[in-house]
Amino acid sequence: MMRFLLLFSRQGKLRLQKWFTPLPERERKKIVRDMTTLVLARKPRTCNFLHWKDLKIVYKRYASLYFCCALEEQENELLALEILHRYVELLDKYFGNVCELDIIFNFEKAYFILDEFLMGGEVQETSKQSIANSIEASDMLQETMEEYMSKPAF
Amino acid sequence: MPAVSKGDGMRGLAVFISDIRNCKSKEAEIKRINKELANIRSKFKGDKALDGYSKKKYVCKLLFIFLLGHDIDFGHMEAVNLLSSNKYTEKQIGYLFISVLVNSNSDLIRLINNAIKNDLSSRNPTFMNLALHCIANVGSREMAEAFAAEVPRILVAGDTMDSVKQSAALCLLRLNRTSPDLVPMGEWTARVVHLLNDQHLGVVTAATSLITTLAQKNPDDFKTSVSLAVARLSRIVTSASTDLQDYTYYFVAAPWLSVKLLRLLQCYPPPEDAAIRGRLTECLETILNKAQEPPKSKKVQHSNAKNAVLFEAISLIIHHDSEPTLLVRACNQLGQFLQHRETNLRYLALESMCTLASSEFSHEAVKTHIETVINALKTERDVSVRQRAVDLLYAMCDRSNAKQIVAEMLSYLETADYSIREEIVLKVAILAEKYAVDYTWYVDTILNLIRIAGDYVSEEVWYRVIQIVINRDDVQGYAAKTVFEALQAPACHENLVKVGGYILGEFGNLIAGDPRSSPLIQFNLLHSKFHLCSVPTRALLLSAYIKFINLFPEVKGTIQEVLRSDSQLRNADVELQQRAVEYLRLSCIASTDILATVLEEMPPFPERESSILAKLKKKKGPGTVPDPEDNRKERCANINGATNHSSTTANAKASAPSFIGDLLAPVLPPINRPRPVSSLSLLPTPLTPLSLQAYAMPLSPSAGSHFQVSSPASDLLSLGSASTLNSTPPSAPKASASLLVDVFSDNSPTAPIGAPAVVVADENFSRFVCKNNGVLFENQLLQIGLKSEYRQNLGRMYVFYGNKTSTQFHNFTASVVCQDGLNSQLNVHAKPADPMVEGGAQLQQTLNIECLSDFVEAPVLNIQFRYGGILQNISVKLPVTLNKFFQPTEMGSQDFFQRWKQLGAPQQEVQKIFKAMYSMDSEVTKAKIIGFGVALLDGVDPNPSNFVGAGVIHTKTSQVGCLIRLEPNAQAQMYRLTLRTSRDTVSQRLCDLLSDQF
Repeated sequence: MMRFLLLFSRQGKLRLQKWFTPLPERERKKIVRDMTTLVLARKPRTCNFLHWKDLKIVYKRYASLYFCCALEEQENELLALEILHRYVELLDKYFGNVCELDIIFNFEKAYFILDEFLMGGEVQETSKQSIANSIEASDMLQETMEEYMSKPAF
Repeated sequence: MPAVSKGDGMRGLAVFISDIRNCKSKEAEIKRINKELANIRSKFKGDKALDGYSKKKYVCKLLFIFLLGHDIDFGHMEAVNLLSSNKYTEKQIGYLFISVLVNSNSDLIRLINNAIKNDLSSRNPTFMNLALHCIANVGSREMAEAFAAEVPRILVAGDTMDSVKQSAALCLLRLNRTSPDLVPMGEWTARVVHLLNDQHLGVVTAATSLITTLAQKNPDDFKTSVSLAVARLSRIVTSASTDLQDYTYYFVAAPWLSVKLLRLLQCYPPPEDAAIRGRLTECLETILNKAQEPPKSKKVQHSNAKNAVLFEAISLIIHHDSEPTLLVRACNQLGQFLQHRETNLRYLALESMCTLASSEFSHEAVKTHIETVINALKTERDVSVRQRAVDLLYAMCDRSNAKQIVAEMLSYLETADYSIREEIVLKVAILAEKYAVDYTWYVDTILNLIRIAGDYVSEEVWYRVIQIVINRDDVQGYAAKTVFEALQAPACHENLVKVGGYILGEFGNLIAGDPRSSPLIQFNLLHSKFHLCSVPTRALLLSAYIKFINLFPEVKGTIQEVLRSDSQLRNADVELQQRAVEYLRLSCIASTDILATVLEEMPPFPERESSILAKLKKKKGPGTVPDPEDNRKERCANINGATNHSSTTANAKASAPSFIGDLLAPVLPPINRPRPVSSLSLLPTPLTPLSLQAYAMPLSPSAGSHFQVSSPASDLLSLGSASTLNSTPPSAPKASASLLVDVFSDNSPTAPIGAPAVVVADENFSRFVCKNNGVLFENQLLQIGLKSEYRQNLGRMYVFYGNKTSTQFHNFTASVVCQDGLNSQLNVHAKPADPMVEGGAQLQQTLNIECLSDFVEAPVLNIQFRYGGILQNISVKLPVTLNKFFQPTEMGSQDFFQRWKQLGAPQQEVQKIFKAMYSMDSEVTKAKIIGFGVALLDGVDPNPSNFVGAGVIHTKTSQVGCLIRLEPNAQAQMYRLTLRTSRDTVSQRLCDLLSDQF
C-alpha cells in the first residue's frame, strides 16, 4: 500500500498531505521535513525512486509542484509514478489547466478528488471518466453559486 | 463544470487564504491566524446559532490553518455537527475535517460513529461513500468495532452500487490491516473471491487489493482466487487495447488491475492444476513478448505502465522460481533494461536482478551481465542507481568472480559517496572473507579497505580480520609481514595501527628473523605511531608492548624504559596509566615462565556468524540483506566444500530456516575448545581487577577465585554474539598460573563469570504471561523494561536497561543463558549490548528468540556491570513462556466440540481447580485469555459465563493445537481450568502458566 502522499512546492512549502496510516503529528512533520530536503536536493534527470528507511519513495515534479509518495516494500514503483500522473490528470480535468494556486485555494477539492481515486493507500478507481463523473455528480449536489454569493463573507 | 465548482463560494475562505499568502513574514502570518482563530472561536461560542454555511466555512478555515502546520484545539464539535447536515457540501467538509484532524482516541468517536451509521444506512451512494471513506481514513479500533460487521455486508450485498462496493472493499481492507482480530472471516469471504469475476473493472481492482491482503494472512481460505485471477489476467492480457475503454491507460490494458492480479498470484506457489498453470505461463509469455513489440505511443506513461506490468510479471516468475525458461527470459529482459536510456528502468532492472541472482536457475544468467553492472557503477550519475549496482554485485558474487567484484568495489570505494561508503566497506569485507581461497588475498583486501576508507571501517571489520588471522596459522606470517610493510607509510590510518599492533604483538616473532624487521625495528615502528593515536589505540599498543617483552626478551629493556617514562606512568588517562604501571610491574616481578603463560598467543576464536554480516543486516534492516549464498541452493556446494574454511557459509546454510525472514542465523554453539584462562587479551579492556592494592596482598593461593582478567577480555572479539548461549564457567586456572591468580584476584570475592548468580529474580515473571510489555526488574540502580513481539515460532524481545543513577555503569554485559535442556528447545540470540551505560541513560538490547520445541523452563538473563568500582551481578528470569508462541484460531461451536472430542485421551487433558486470586471480573478474564494468546470463542460454551479459547502453539518442529475452557464459580470464588492439547507436556505447562493468572 501507499503510506503517504505529499505535494510540495520547489520552496518546500507543503501543499497537500495525505496519510494512509495514523502517525503522531510530530512524526508527520519530521517525515515532511525529510522528504522535502531529500527530494529537493535531487538533481534533474536522476531517477524517480529512492530508498528511505524501509519505504520506497517515488516522486515526480510537475511544473512548480513535487508529487511524492511512499510505498511499502513490494509495491510497483513504475505504476506509482503513473498514480501520480493520473492524479495530476484528474486535477487538470477538474480545474482546467491546473496550477499550484488552484490547489492552494481549493485544497478541499484536491482532497475530494484524491479520495475518489485512492482509499486506504490503494487505488480505488482508475477510470478517469468514472472519477470525473462522480466529482461532477457531487458538485451538482451543491447549491448554486448565486446562493453562496449572497451569503456574508465573514 | 469548473465554473460552478471553482467558485463554490466560500468567499471568506478565499479572502483568508489570500491574506495569509500576502503575509510578508512568519510573524505576520501567525498574527493573522491568531486573529482568525479568535474570530472563529467567538462565532462558535456566540449566542447566535450559526447556519450550516457559516459552520462549514469556519470549519474549513480551521482545516486550512491546521494544514499550514498550526495546532487546532477546537471546532471538532462543529465539524461533527456538519456530518448530520443534509447538504452534501457541508457533510463533505465535516468528513474531511474529521479525516484529517480527529485522532483515534478522540471522545467524539461515538458521535462520529453515529453519523456514519446513519449515512451507511441512508442508501444514498454518495453519502455511503463519504462514510466509508471516513472509516478508512480514521480507521481506529472503535470504528472497527462498530463497523466490522456492517462493511462486509455492504460489500457483498446484491443491490449495492458498484462505486459503494469499491469503497467498501478498500474500507474493509483498511480495517483488516488495523484490527485484523475484529474482521473475522465468514461466509462473505467466498463471495468476495467472486468479485474477481465482476463486470465492473473498478470493482475488480478494489477487490483484488482486499483479497491479496487477506490471502497473505489466510492463504487456504482464498485458494480459489488463483484460478479466477489467472482467468481474469488472461482476458486482460489478450484483449485489444481498446476493449477495456477507460480502463486502458495510454494503450495499456488495465495496468493497475494486471499488477494487482500478479501480486495476488505471488501469495501462492505455482498452480498445481496443469491447465491453469499453462494458462498462466501463456500470460507471462505474452507479457514478455509485448516488451519486444514496438511501443504504441512515445509517451512515457505508455512505457511506464507497460513496464510496470512487465516488472510485476518478472516478480511473479522469480517468486515461482520454477520455470527455467521464463527465468532466463526475464533475466535477458532485465539485461536489456540495464542499458536502457531511462534511468528509472536501469534502476529497477538492477533491483530486480538482485532477487533473480538468488535463484539457482538464473544465477548464472545474471552473472553474464557483470561487465554492464560494473560499468554502471563507474558511469551512473545518480547515486541511488550506483547503490543498486553495488547491491547487485554483492548478490551476484560467488567464488568464480569474487576477486573481480571485490577489486571493482574497492576501486569504486575511492570515489564513492560518503553516504554509502560504510555499507560498501562491510560488503567488501564479507565477500572477501566468504570467498577467500587464499587468505593472503583476504588480508590484502582488508588492509586495502583500511587504507582507502579507514574512517568507514568499523570495529567489526578489523576485529574480524584479527579473528581470522588468529584462527588460521597459515596466514599469520604473511599478515605480520604485510602489516609491517603497511605501517611503513608515513601516514596510516589509526585502524591500521590497531590491526598492526595486535598482529605484531601476537605474531611479530614470525618475521623477526629478517633483519629488516627485527624486534627493535618492529617496536620502533609501532611506537612511532603511538603519540598520534587516540587513547584506546594507545592502550592496545601498550598491550602489544608487553606481549613483545614475552616474544623478544632482547627488547625488554627498551620497552620497560618506555613504560617507565613519565608520559606513561603519570599519564592523565587513568586507563593508560594503569596499564603502564601494571605491565611494568608484571615485566619486573614475573618469571619468564609465568610471563610466557600469561602472555601466551591468543587461542583460536570459536567460529560463529560473521559479526560483519550481522552489522550489515542491522544497518540495512531485517530481510534486506541475504547472505549472498543463503538462498542459492546447494548448487555450489561442491565448490565451497572444497576448502574447509567456509565454515561460516556452511553454518549459515545449516541454519537455513530464517529468523523472521531476516536470515539472522542463530548463534552457533561454540566449538568446545577449552580456552586457556591465562592468555591476556590485547584488546583495550580496562583491567580493573588488577588494582594496585592487589600487589599489597599476601600472595597466597585462595581457592575458588578465578582469574578475573581474562574471562571478560578474552571474549571481547566475539562481537557477533556477546553472549554465548551455553557458556560454561571458565575452566580452573592451570597450576602454573596459580601464583598469578592471586596477583590478579580481586579483593572481594565475586561470583565467577558465566556461573549463575546468587539469586535469579522472578517476582515479575508471571505478570508477563498474558502481556508482552512492562517492567521486569527494578532495584535502586537499574530498571529493566521489556517489549516483545512474537510471530509463530519466532519472537523478538527488546530489553531496556535504565541506569537510575547519575553515574556510568562500566563493563556492562548482558547475556542470556538457557540452562539444562532448555538450549535444545529454545534458541535465544542476544545482540551485544554497549559496555557503557551513562547515568540516567537507557540502553536497548535486542533478543531474537526461536522456539524449537515445547519447553518448561525459562531462560535467564545475566547482567553484570561495575557501579562505583563494585561488580554488580543481577540475574532475572526472562518471561519467555510457551504460550508466547500461540497463534489464535477462530472456530465455530461445532468445530470446537469435534476437536474437543478428538483430544479425549486422558493424558491429553489437564484440569486444575483453584481459588481466585483476583476479583472475578469477566472483562479482565477475557483480556487475560486473549493476552495468553488464544482466540476467545464466543457462543461456543452453552454456559455464557464460561470462557472458551483455541490456538495453535508453533514450534520449529511441530505445531500443537490447544483448546481451553475456563469455568468460573463466582459463589465459591473458584475456577476450573481444563486444557486439551495433543501433547501432555504442553497441556501441563500451559495449565501451570494460565492458572496463576486469575
